[in-house]
Amino acid sequence: MAYLTINGVGKTFGSQHWAVRDFNLEIERGELVSFLGPSGCGKTTTLRMVAGFETPTTGTIVVDGEDITNQPPNQRNVGMVFQSYALFPNMTVADNVGFGMMVAHKPKDEIQKRVSELLDIIHMAGFGNRFPHQLSGGQQQRVALARALALSPRVLLLDEPLSALDAKIRVSLRAEIRSIQQQLGITAIYVTHDQEEALSLSDRVVVMNAGRMEQVGAPFEIYNFPTTEFVAQFVGTLNTVSADVVDPKEGILRLEGQQIQTLESLDGVKANDKVLTAIRPERISFLADGEKANLMEGVIQSITFLGSIVRIQFQVGNAEFHMDTFNNPQLDLPKIGDKVQVTFSRRAVLVLTSGGTA
Amino acid sequence: MRKFNVWAWFIFLVGVLYFFIPLFSVFEFSMRMLKGRYTFEAYRVAFSDPAFYEHFGFSLLWAAITLVVSLLLVVPTAYWVHWRLPKIRPAVEFVTLMPFVVPAVVLVFGLIRLYGSPPLTLTTTPILLIAGYVVLSLPYMYRAVDTGLRAIDVRTLTEAALSMGAGWGTILGRVIFPNLRTAILSGVFLTFAIVMGEFTFASLLVWPAFGPYMEEIGAMRAYTPQALSVVSFLLTWASIGLLQWVGRGTAAESQVAGAR
Repeated sequence: MAYLTINGVGKTFGSQHWAVRDFNLEIERGELVSFLGPSGCGKTTTLRMVAGFETPTTGTIVVDGEDITNQPPNQRNVGMVFQSYALFPNMTVADNVGFGMMVAHKPKDEIQKRVSELLDIIHMAGFGNRFPHQLSGGQQQRVALARALALSPRVLLLDEPLSALDAKIRVSLRAEIRSIQQQLGITAIYVTHDQEEALSLSDRVVVMNAGRMEQVGAPFEIYNFPTTEFVAQFVGTLNTVSADVVDPKEGILRLEGQQIQTLESLDGVKANDKVLTAIRPERISFLADGEKANLMEGVIQSITFLGSIVRIQFQVGNAEFHMDTFNNPQLDLPKIGDKVQVTFSRRAVLVLTSGGTA
Repeated sequence: MRKFNVWAWFIFLVGVLYFFIPLFSVFEFSMRMLKGRYTFEAYRVAFSDPAFYEHFGFSLLWAAITLVVSLLLVVPTAYWVHWRLPKIRPAVEFVTLMPFVVPAVVLVFGLIRLYGSPPLTLTTTPILLIAGYVVLSLPYMYRAVDTGLRAIDVRTLTEAALSMGAGWGTILGRVIFPNLRTAILSGVFLTFAIVMGEFTFASLLVWPAFGPYMEEIGAMRAYTPQALSVVSFLLTWASIGLLQWVGRGTAAESQVAGAR
């Protein structure tokens, strides 16, 4: 049996509108699962139901064999890290970290020992006597993390903890969060709308849309094999173009007058049906000698430098495509208006139906 | 360099004179009890009257009880409105502003009519007086606490404390109250100043207090009431000064609490 089971959970807020609907998930002990989705998709509501700040309209939440669905939040032993840090402004860093233990009437010595242990873990050993307003945003969030970990919670919940921080700190802190989570072997749920964050630090990602789970899987799986159009569009950049089925058995499609082929045969469609195809920009490259697979001809529309990546936009018939290539000084890029041939493997062609890949 | 604005200074000076000339006149008059020289005789007389201490002491007692009741009523109410019922905030604000609309004399007659005869006779107890004072102080106390609560992220701080196992007593006592220190103090001192000088309730409910005493002395003597007026002003200023002193250094904390 899984360590944390969210079974058929749904939530309405006084109307017929379901903020979360039929949410089912099993999380293993020590696993970090991210809830990823756009604003209003229900990810934070689901997290708040696990924390006990919202009561599910339907379903149950079970942690380590104990049904906590209707348990008050202060009896769940679930640690939470908030986007706004939520450190108590009237308390020092040490008092903030030790607050939960003070509430639990732990002996002073034990509190001091644990606080200093946790400050070591978050690399803030000398900061115990400072007040929150004397710390940077990143430091405050590390203190908030230490505070949430102080009571060795059964589950650690992180609600967009890095959203208020600048880009560089975000990257370093997310690595730190992951490392601490793995070091302590704590079960964690991480809510974010940032796909890079979710993909980089999670064991599994739950992509959510309009209150429903769209797909659950490892980051590699979510990125490379999206099962719905929403996941394909939301996670990463994607070229999606409508194509006509030519030969479903061979997986042959006609796309803007040019023929391409999928790796596997297409089930559930017949010749002349229209399907939606999707190709990741980084799976497309300029045609080099001796290359094979799918070929397309297009005209360069624009070239954008994105640091280590160069994104090239080209047009095939009426459809626009993006391709990504690694930047390097020797890169021989075409010019805008040039006619180019591009190639991509058969595996790169995803055929999206309304329900999933064909 | 900023330009010296003559008009701004002129208006400021007019304001200062408008405020201080009457005050100075009262002080100057209170010093003229003995003919031909300035003395503190009026103050000596005022402070040597045992009735002064008795009435002042009663007012201090009423103020202390009013503050306790008012804080116990207003802080949890305002907190709960912010945390759970933000939609009813305008309605609560309206109710707390009623003492500005309903004159004290109307309120006290209403209370006497309702509680002056059985089944619930409260006019013989100080309950009505305290209740009246709590109502009178509502606009100041609620506003002050509400402003303080707006400056901190009540919801997130509460949830953070809850997630660490804290109960409501701990949350209010350890997290909310300390972060509302300045706001609560400003409400406390305003309420204190109002209760110490209040006349209508104490007089009509026939309870000894500093307000009716001042009025009584004013009707009988010339110099002592002026001395007591100056003492009242000093008391109010001392309260404000104390507020400034106790509330110092909390601005940065409030700012962090407000960061979302």
